[in-house]
Amino acid sequence: MFSLLQRGQQVSNQAISALSYIAFAIIALFLAQLHFDNAYNLPSQIANIETSTNIRYSYSAGSTSAKGKENSKIKFDIDTDLSSLFNWNTKQVFVYLTATYPGKSPESSNRVTYWDKIITDPKDAKLSLKSVRGKYSVYDREFSFRERNATLALEWNIQPWIGPLVFGTLEGGQGFSFSKPEKPRK
Amino acid sequence: MTWKGLSIVTNAESPIVVVLTGSMEPAFQRGDLLFLWNRNARNAVGDVVVYNIEGKPIPIVHRVLREHHNDKKQFLLTKGDNNPVDDLGLYKRKQQYLDKDKDIMGTVYGYMPRVGYVTILITENQYFKFGLLGLLALSSLFQRE
Repeated sequence: MFSLLQRGQQVSNQAISALSYIAFAIIALFLAQLHFDNAYNLPSQIANIETSTNIRYSYSAGSTSAKGKENSKIKFDIDTDLSSLFNWNTKQVFVYLTATYPGKSPESSNRVTYWDKIITDPKDAKLSLKSVRGKYSVYDREFSFRERNATLALEWNIQPWIGPLVFGTLEGGQGFSFSKPEKPRK
Repeated sequence: MTWKGLSIVTNAESPIVVVLTGSMEPAFQRGDLLFLWNRNARNAVGDVVVYNIEGKPIPIVHRVLREHHNDKKQFLLTKGDNNPVDDLGLYKRKQQYLDKDKDIMGTVYGYMPRVGYVTILITENQYFKFGLLGLLALSSLFQRE
């Protein structure tokens, strides 16, 4: 005789193995479609980068002493089309603008986010932004950015309805240099 | 058994977690299941990580906003997509960054919606919990061996 428990177990076992096959198929199709839509080699244009640096003294601006901390902000134009990141399994695209710059030693490196955007509707996937200010005031672990060179790049993350999180970087990265801090107002 | 095995393979104490708050909406909602991986030496900016602050009971799932690393260590600043500010205020007093080795419990690589809501119901809704326990008790009474 089959007990209720055994039957329940059999049903759930069937369900679990069926679900895992379906999940596997969904993931494979999703990744294949992104590949064929050329999602990993999308172009972007980042232009008219203006940077400014000032010294701030609040804890939320990274300052832990009376010396303060250099904070960097940027302004930029962006032109890109992220439509091919949207398919039947895309719940949202998180697109973010990062700057990468070297640290003190050759093994060290830093990457910071200046701006990001959540796109949930494929109609909003074409980005054409003029003179946008970054969302974040960025500081380093060191006191100063020391006018180093940095590379700006647009990166994306697809949040699926189900399955793996997918990441990529758009082509068309741009270099810039951190500006000298402005003299504090007296 | 499977859980322990998965835990060893992923090197994460809990390889599957349930989202409890809305700070990463609309990406993650309450009750969604997240699959974690913790064998990466470093995290990239944009990764969604689960971290635990000493003395705080609930792990937090947020996105990496900045990373600073050298050959030995990596420091991360995180932020919830749906939060207006970064997580500086969530960390310990005077803690400015998360330490990749010490604080990060895992990186999210997979997602399944809603399934984890059962655990929220069990832990937060006593009627559901007792109802479920009652059903189990009844079924054990009525089944024939």
